[in-house]
Amino acid sequence: MTQDDFVRLQTLLASRAGFRLSRERIHLAAHRLGPVARREGFDTVDAMLAALWSKPVASLAWAVIEALLNPETWFRRDRGPFDTFARELLPAIGRVRPDGLVRVWSAGCSTGQEAWSLAMGALEAGANVEIHATDLCQRAVDKARLGVFTGFEIQRGLSAASMLRWFEPVEDQWMARRELAQAVRFSRANLLDEPVDGPRFDIIFCRNVLSDMEPVRRGAVIDALERRLVDDGCLILGADERLDGDTVAFRAVNGRQGLFVKAAAVLSRAA
Amino acid sequence: MDARTCLIVDDSRIIRKVARRIVEGLGFEVDEAGDGVEALTYCASVMPEIILLDWNMPVMDGLTFLRRLRAQPGGERPKVLFCTIETHPERIAEALSAGADDYVMKPFDGEILSSKLTEVGAV
Repeated sequence: MTQDDFVRLQTLLASRAGFRLSRERIHLAAHRLGPVARREGFDTVDAMLAALWSKPVASLAWAVIEALLNPETWFRRDRGPFDTFARELLPAIGRVRPDGLVRVWSAGCSTGQEAWSLAMGALEAGANVEIHATDLCQRAVDKARLGVFTGFEIQRGLSAASMLRWFEPVEDQWMARRELAQAVRFSRANLLDEPVDGPRFDIIFCRNVLSDMEPVRRGAVIDALERRLVDDGCLILGADERLDGDTVAFRAVNGRQGLFVKAAAVLSRAA
Repeated sequence: MDARTCLIVDDSRIIRKVARRIVEGLGFEVDEAGDGVEALTYCASVMPEIILLDWNMPVMDGLTFLRRLRAQPGGERPKVLFCTIETHPERIAEALSAGADDYVMKPFDGEILSSKLTEVGAV
């Protein structure tokens, strides 16, 4: 892979996914694209990229983009947000909704560990929830929906008691039990796309997504999240993520790391 | 503040060595025992904060050790993580009901162990 290839990849990721492919990831990029080249029938990564630059086919471009996104996730990552969700947010919001129904969106769900963790927490709390999870990467969404995890994946962040309660062994992997599997709907979505109008969400988890994005794209994504969130809803970002300077749509909640609510300015505009 | 202590109970020297490296990396002071009897003797003199426990060992297996430990004065205090190759749900449930705080299926890595220790409140 040449420097020129990498610069073109950076442009591709930024324009289609808003993803910031930083320079130190050049070796990782070459490594990740090897399997994509083989799958797509090319002898080498260089040959695949040459073909892509000369004739940009959407399916190949997306196969390349997907391989370069950051798929890092695990069950109950950072723990705190999941406890806040199950113990505080669900009861508080459920109390003021018809039938106690709380609508949740896991935006940028990768292989699904966050969405499944939310579903386990909600079911254990006896809450009435609809959980929708989306990711840009179709392969990640497919794996997430399957709900099957290796011994390494299932144990990262999940206690053995929770594992036994919500998953069953299939060969040497672990599969979500029917009751859990019914609790989450997965689909592919690009956060850069114009938000669709539909029922809005009460709680949006969008963790460790914005921090990987091109700074100039963050504002639009945050505004789109704001449009999909009810006025008294909550946005949960990653533990170290801030919104300073990106938007005036949200304000941080004191004492709750990563928890944001709509700012007064947005609410008065809506009114 | 005193260093936090961990006892690794496994009949395999290699497993003990691998686990020691991980747990020391998490800031624990580590001792080792090769079977349940050695581990009980150790705990009778000084109770560690966490115990990583293999199941199948000569002399006394992990489950027997765990039941005897929990029956001892102060034996309810250590956080015990079973670390074994057993992956049958019935066996995992048996270990948990015998008083294990969590259960780790081998093979495991530092991220798994670290997340399990966090989940039981030991880190």
